[in-house]
Amino acid sequence: METRTDAYAEALFNVARAEGHLVEVEEELFRFGTALEANDELRTTLADPHIPAARRQQIVEDLLGGKAGGTTVALISMVVGTGRGHDLPKIISELGQRSAASTGTVVAEVRSAVALSDDQQARLATAISARTGQDVTVRNVVDPSVLGGIVTQIGDSIIDGSVRSRLTQLRDAF
Amino acid sequence: MLSTILAAESEGNGFWLPHDINEVIWGTIAFVIVVGVIVWKGGPAIKTAMAARPERISGELSAATDALSAAEAKRDDIKSALADSDSEAARIVAEAHETAERLTAEIIERAHVEAASVRSRALVDIESSRRQATTDLTHDISRLALGAAEQVVHNNLDDTTQQSLIEAYIAQVGSSN
Repeated sequence: METRTDAYAEALFNVARAEGHLVEVEEELFRFGTALEANDELRTTLADPHIPAARRQQIVEDLLGGKAGGTTVALISMVVGTGRGHDLPKIISELGQRSAASTGTVVAEVRSAVALSDDQQARLATAISARTGQDVTVRNVVDPSVLGGIVTQIGDSIIDGSVRSRLTQLRDAF
Repeated sequence: MLSTILAAESEGNGFWLPHDINEVIWGTIAFVIVVGVIVWKGGPAIKTAMAARPERISGELSAATDALSAAEAKRDDIKSALADSDSEAARIVAEAHETAERLTAEIIERAHVEAASVRSRALVDIESSRRQATTDLTHDISRLALGAAEQVVHNNLDDTTQQSLIEAYIAQVGSSN
């Protein structure tokens, strides 16, 4: 399964790069992945094998029409049409990693209860770059379950400064 | 001769002896002869019988003595047997008492051991239940406290606090190089 996810990510990466919209497609895919992660109903619908592929693709086009580029819509529609909707978040994440790697950077997935400003993302990217010694691209995901603070994931490393983790530590201390 | 005597008797002369002296003489002679024959023929047998009688009586006395001795011996045996049976009965009773006491002691000991085991298991169960209750209570308290803490934190996480937390995080990541 992991190999299939990698193959899809590689295919999407190559198409986006061939079309010359890698950065744009990556950004739009990331936003769509974030929305998909936050919406259980949408995620379930796009992964439902009982719904015809054409219907699922139509849903994607209705959602993204006019809000994302044609390449992005086509790529998402292709993945959903092949019945890999439930793998879409992993595929998008892997695509982000490949895109960052192609530019010599790493992707830092930053989860916070409220959206970070551009300035905060830039300063956080600088801080993480100084810490890891690598150029970092910050992807901010708004996740209310964090409650407060930030959780950053870079590859397999996690820097957890969330209120949620502190409450969990408090619970574990009992 | 007897008929002669009877005939003489039937005639009667008023005296106790016959009036004819010949009859007396011949009667006496016949009597003597009869007595002589009796003594001659029956005497030895009588003498033998008389001579054997003491031996027989002595034998009977001896047999009686032997029987008495045997009876006394039998009596002694019976007495001894009765005495033995009494002692055997006493021994059996004593052994039964001893067995009963031993069994009673064993039963009491087993009861004590079983009671101690039950008590021990009960104490373990009680301790386990107490620990489980304490653990459950602790978890419940921690869950409730955490829920309350989450609610309090959530209510106090206004935008200013969120920004403060984010800035503190960025500063922390930057300072830990």
